[in-house]
Amino acid sequence: MFALPFALLLQITGEMAPVTPGGLEGRPPAMEASPLQARVDRAAPGETVVVGPGTYTGDLVLDRPIRLVGQGRPLLTGSGKGSVVRVRADGVVLEGFDIDGVRGGDLGRDSSGVHVAGRNVVVRDCRISEALFGIYLRQADGVRVERCRIRGIHGKDPGEKGSGLHVWDTKGFTFKDNVIEDVRDGFYIQSSSGGTITGNVARDLRYGLHYMFSDDNTFEDNTFENGAAGTALMYSKRIVFRRNRFVNNRGFASVGLLLKACDDVLAEDNLIADNARGIFLEGSYRNVFRGNVVALSDAAIVLYDSCGQNRFEGNSFVGNLTPLALVGRRTDTVFDGNYWSDNDEPDLDGDGRSDRPFPLSSVFDHLRGNLTAADLFSRSVSARALGAAERGFPVLREVEVFDHAPLAHPPALPRVPHPDKPPAGRGTLALAVSGLSLLGGAGVLLTGRRQA
Amino acid sequence: MRGSPGPFLLCARQELLLAVRSRWTQIFAVVFAVLALAVASSGYVLSGGHGVQDFARTAASLVELVLLLVPLTALLIGVLSLAPERGAAELLFSQPVSRRAILFGKVTGLFGALAAAQAVGFGAAGLVIFSRAGGSGLGGFTLLILGSFILTAVFLVLAALVSSGTVGRRTRALAIALVVWFGAVVLFDVAALGVASLLPSGPASRVLIVSVLVNPADAVRTGALLGIEGSGAFGAASLALLRFTHGAAGTGILLALSLLVWMVAPALLAARRLDKADL
Repeated sequence: MFALPFALLLQITGEMAPVTPGGLEGRPPAMEASPLQARVDRAAPGETVVVGPGTYTGDLVLDRPIRLVGQGRPLLTGSGKGSVVRVRADGVVLEGFDIDGVRGGDLGRDSSGVHVAGRNVVVRDCRISEALFGIYLRQADGVRVERCRIRGIHGKDPGEKGSGLHVWDTKGFTFKDNVIEDVRDGFYIQSSSGGTITGNVARDLRYGLHYMFSDDNTFEDNTFENGAAGTALMYSKRIVFRRNRFVNNRGFASVGLLLKACDDVLAEDNLIADNARGIFLEGSYRNVFRGNVVALSDAAIVLYDSCGQNRFEGNSFVGNLTPLALVGRRTDTVFDGNYWSDNDEPDLDGDGRSDRPFPLSSVFDHLRGNLTAADLFSRSVSARALGAAERGFPVLREVEVFDHAPLAHPPALPRVPHPDKPPAGRGTLALAVSGLSLLGGAGVLLTGRRQA
Repeated sequence: MRGSPGPFLLCARQELLLAVRSRWTQIFAVVFAVLALAVASSGYVLSGGHGVQDFARTAASLVELVLLLVPLTALLIGVLSLAPERGAAELLFSQPVSRRAILFGKVTGLFGALAAAQAVGFGAAGLVIFSRAGGSGLGGFTLLILGSFILTAVFLVLAALVSSGTVGRRTRALAIALVVWFGAVVLFDVAALGVASLLPSGPASRVLIVSVLVNPADAVRTGALLGIEGSGAFGAASLALLRFTHGAAGTGILLALSLLVWMVAPALLAARRLDKADL
């Protein structure tokens, strides 16, 4: 009996639909509903509903197990009041749609392009844009998301955006070949297990991938690039990942890969390159890093003394300014048989290992540990000179960390995926400038020679 | 000769011709181009073994190359031609032409030759990068070329200053030039870091920031990296720098001012010393 005045009030003030926090959005009011709603409501369970090209404005609830197939890329434009497509039944298939969230909804109610609260749902070949969350899985066991493109709300502060693919309390999800850009976190996985994330790309965001309290997960062959933070595994156990690229995370607080309170993780054959910090380990135990490449970072590894029993073996550390930044006084981390590009010790007995252990320390790192402004010199010749001098004439022996049998030659690069780059503009102008520079310089050099 | 170009232009043109024909300039052009190309192709590891990366990714290595090579060659080639053998100097300076015109003309001509040599290297590297990895980063690329030219000018003028104090003693001028190079590129930074490590953190970071602004090599490096990579270039340290200089505009103005002083002051000093020198 309060419903009618409440609804009137909502219409007057333009407020959001009444959903209690933590509750689930149900049917949109008639004026916010999609014209497709009637066709969905008439469909029998198991039926395939084919939607032709066109624009359909309003929100849509799928509350029975149907296949909703878009042909000719129909566009579903949301009402701006909540999630555009709300899946409320098991076994729904949604494919071939463009979905526009019209920059609407609010974070507290998980407003998404596609909001899934049903099991064994498939979302495939959808392009979602301008939505707070791209796809939100809420207690949605066995859901598959494939070949979707998710682009968030451009220009919003990261704290005001949602995740691209957000997972909560879900077992056994599969994400394959999706591309996610310009959102808060690319993949945010909370309290969920048994998930597989394969062949995806997440770029231009805060966290590329973020696990919280999620054990027994796997991710392989993905690219996470240009994140303000990077990729973070937190409070999770037994995560396995291989052949991923963690690259170009260069912000103030960026890391390629962060483990915080994570145990028994296995990282194999990943490429972690061009990050402010490559691998960051805090409060984590019994993790194994094997066959990864960590390259071109300011600090290859940042290691807190709250960690224990971690192992690094067969990794390549190439062109990093500092191999190891140890926070604290001691570490029992084992470094065995890694390749360090700064290591110039010979291998005289030819066993593939350098003849002496490689010390993981640097004077410059010692300086910058105490002084942020020292980073202004981090990429100067003097920083390299200091590093070389310390290796030649070691004076700092505060913490001794060694690779006891460093590889003498770099192992082969892991076969990481190489996603297509987004098209870069202004190529011709740049080429013209380069060409002019080349011709102009060569012209001056040559005419000068010829003139008598 | 058509018309009369004036002694300054005559000297500049003569020096340009000499420098362009000099084996040293040619070697520099080739070495710089080869190294720039090598750096441009160094995105190999980063891309997982798939070849060239776009400019923003190779810029930092190119900056490093420029900072090592450009001051060194500007100083050496500058000293070699600005501190001529005793006989030649006597002959040249006995002409009825002001010594300043000769000096500035020579510096200008040398600058032209070295800038041309660098333009060849940058052009070749740019063609490789932009054709293989798209055209993003053109602004940073241009900024780097500009920074390289500024470094050339600064260290040519320093070479003039060194030579003006050691007229007729080339070996000594060369030795001093090497010391100047080592001091500007390595020693100064190490000393700044050393001093800073002895101070409490407030004054220490002021020392570091001021030394980055004051040293021409550091000024070009900082300006180029900030311009190419934005305020994330040095992590939290760039924040400290920006706060110290009251924002990006302040940083830019201070860097430009510092480099301008480095171009003008040694030139005037060199001219004064040359005027007074007894040849």
